Amino acid sequence: MEEKKIENDGKDIVLDVRDLRINIEMDEGTLTAVRGVNFSIKKGETLGLVGESGCGKSLTSKAILGINEKKCKTTGQIVFDTDGRGMVDLLSLSPKGKEIRQVRGKQISMVFQEPMVAFSPLYTIGNQINECTRLHITKDRKKSREISLEMMKKVGIANAEKRYDQYPHEFSGGMLQRALIAMALVCNPKLLIADEPTTALDVTIQAQILELMKELQKDLNMAILFITHDLGTVAAMCDRVAVMYLGKIVEIAPVKDIYAAPAHPYTQGLIGSVHKIGTKKEERLFSIEGTVPLALNLPPGCGFYERCGKRIEGVCNVKEPELTELSDGHAVACHLCGGCQGCAFGANSGEEAKKDAE
Amino acid sequence: MPNNKRSILEINHLTKDFPSKKVCVHAVSDVSFQINEGETVGIVGESGCGKTTMGRCVVRAIPATSGEVIYYPEKGEPVDFLTIDKNRMKELRKDIQMIFQNPYSSLDPRMTVLDIIKEPLTANFPGMSKAEMEEKVMDIAGKVGLNVSYLKRYPHAFSGGQRQRIGIARALVLKPRVIVCDEAVSALDVSIQAQVINLLKDLQREMNLTYIFISHDLSVVEHISDKVGVMYLGRMVEYAETEALFSRPRHPYTEALMSAVPVADPDVKMDRIPLMGEIPNPANPPSGCYFHTRCRCCQQKCKEVMPEYREVEPGHFVACHYAEEWELRGFHYEEEVQGEQKNRQG
Repeated sequence: MEEKKIENDGKDIVLDVRDLRINIEMDEGTLTAVRGVNFSIKKGETLGLVGESGCGKSLTSKAILGINEKKCKTTGQIVFDTDGRGMVDLLSLSPKGKEIRQVRGKQISMVFQEPMVAFSPLYTIGNQINECTRLHITKDRKKSREISLEMMKKVGIANAEKRYDQYPHEFSGGMLQRALIAMALVCNPKLLIADEPTTALDVTIQAQILELMKELQKDLNMAILFITHDLGTVAAMCDRVAVMYLGKIVEIAPVKDIYAAPAHPYTQGLIGSVHKIGTKKEERLFSIEGTVPLALNLPPGCGFYERCGKRIEGVCNVKEPELTELSDGHAVACHLCGGCQGCAFGANSGEEAKKDAE
Repeated sequence: MPNNKRSILEINHLTKDFPSKKVCVHAVSDVSFQINEGETVGIVGESGCGKTTMGRCVVRAIPATSGEVIYYPEKGEPVDFLTIDKNRMKELRKDIQMIFQNPYSSLDPRMTVLDIIKEPLTANFPGMSKAEMEEKVMDIAGKVGLNVSYLKRYPHAFSGGQRQRIGIARALVLKPRVIVCDEAVSALDVSIQAQVINLLKDLQREMNLTYIFISHDLSVVEHISDKVGVMYLGRMVEYAETEALFSRPRHPYTEALMSAVPVADPDVKMDRIPLMGEIPNPANPPSGCYFHTRCRCCQQKCKEVMPEYREVEPGHFVACHYAEEWELRGFHYEEEVQGEQKNRQG
């Protein structure tokens, strides 16, 4: 397949996702899992993708690698700065073709959520890390072993020579996650997608892994797409945060702004529902009522309408809010906040928004 | 009520070994603590530290190797859960229930929700009429926020948060006094987690429940608990009132654990105290203090002598030789303004 050349105005942009939509055909109808997602990642930057389960964050990340199941119908553009070919729309490549395979695992790689599941129990760890190097770097077994060993040492696996020939069941969870990171980084990728890399781990191990990822990011100057639902790790890891809800990005901002002045009611709810140690004990945690609706036959209007504490009838359930920029780099999709200068969230009058909707 | 300092459970020297052909894993060794009625005790620790095994021993889901679990029933003499005969235990089981971690695997997919919540009743009150049982189920389902008209459905039709509510309803239907929550909210999304935590707190106030809240999530434990116990390699290393423990930890392990908690605030720099290596093998624990292989304050004495679990301050128990000497850092508690950012003490 012939790839399209795409213009790119930003210089350092590694990945640019434009209007990504994923539909899944099901017996009950079409599930609109991702509904027009736009974001970009620069070199050396960490973008956090936050949201509850079922909001489409994992599908988005898998779409970048083209490893979603066949039934996922994906449209839009995923523009990636490939080595040698310049900007290429990954979606225009055949998902089984040669071109995407050179990207997958080499230039973009992924760390999966559960290290115990991600490894095959039948092969040694070394063998599995090697697979990547031998595909992409060298066919020479000896050399490839050296490269793999070096990476294993880099991610802090003690006794790497011995560990190399061990099977996954001989590793603990934290060590396996390190091995998984080694496998992802062995080809020096430009972009690392980390899908909840620490959710299955203990806090102490989690902190180790996060620090490790930060260090390696500095060394290799790679971009990280960090997918999680844990706002604590986001604060520690990310430069910018995109909050997803029901297949859409509802807010995107630098990490400081997200915590200091969350604009979307959903973001506010997410941050409010995390208890901070050391704050005065409130009897109740703030909680968002209800659950994420299934994205089947969605009604018009804002996807968060049913659960929102600040909804305005006649506005929010009529028109879907667009992502509008509040300040530099801080955009939000909410009728209450869109385009209102200096509004402290929700201070904007509902009247104005009503007029807009009409 | 919280002020009523009546003891409800006393766990003394609880030990659980899992012997196998070659080795013996000491999953829980010599754990002691006491719980008052209406209190929440949080148990934290890394995976494999024995917190779940401890919880299961307390409800006698698995038999403990030695020790005692003294329970003070509403009426009558205190009894030891571990030694009383099965019939009496069955009677007392109504008073102590458990909520499990995974709401997807702890509910039988072939039973309707009504049957799931009803099962404890049929098991414990064989004489009760069907109508009465259903009335009780409806009552409790309403309390935990389940839509009563959905009770005829099967668990697969419910979301994670709803399923956890079903698990809570099942535990509550017998009107227990103590509930062991084993990672009850860990599998849930943050917003749902907050809902369930609020629910647990409301129910506690309403029904004067006592919780043993087992979790690896320190911020959740800090929010919900009155007292917190920290476990390491099958032993309780520290046990104190929540604020005392978090603001001034006395055990280096507690300190390291707390420093690893990511804070939802980008202004707070993570200043982690590194823990070297991994948890040692519980079948072959290190000599002396179990923690000495990873401790930043390790001394010669720690390698040789096992520290005693002792009370250093009223209500503050620590198993460390040098508990009084270390100036360990904890969380800084803000008293005045809500929501203000906290800093970790340097």
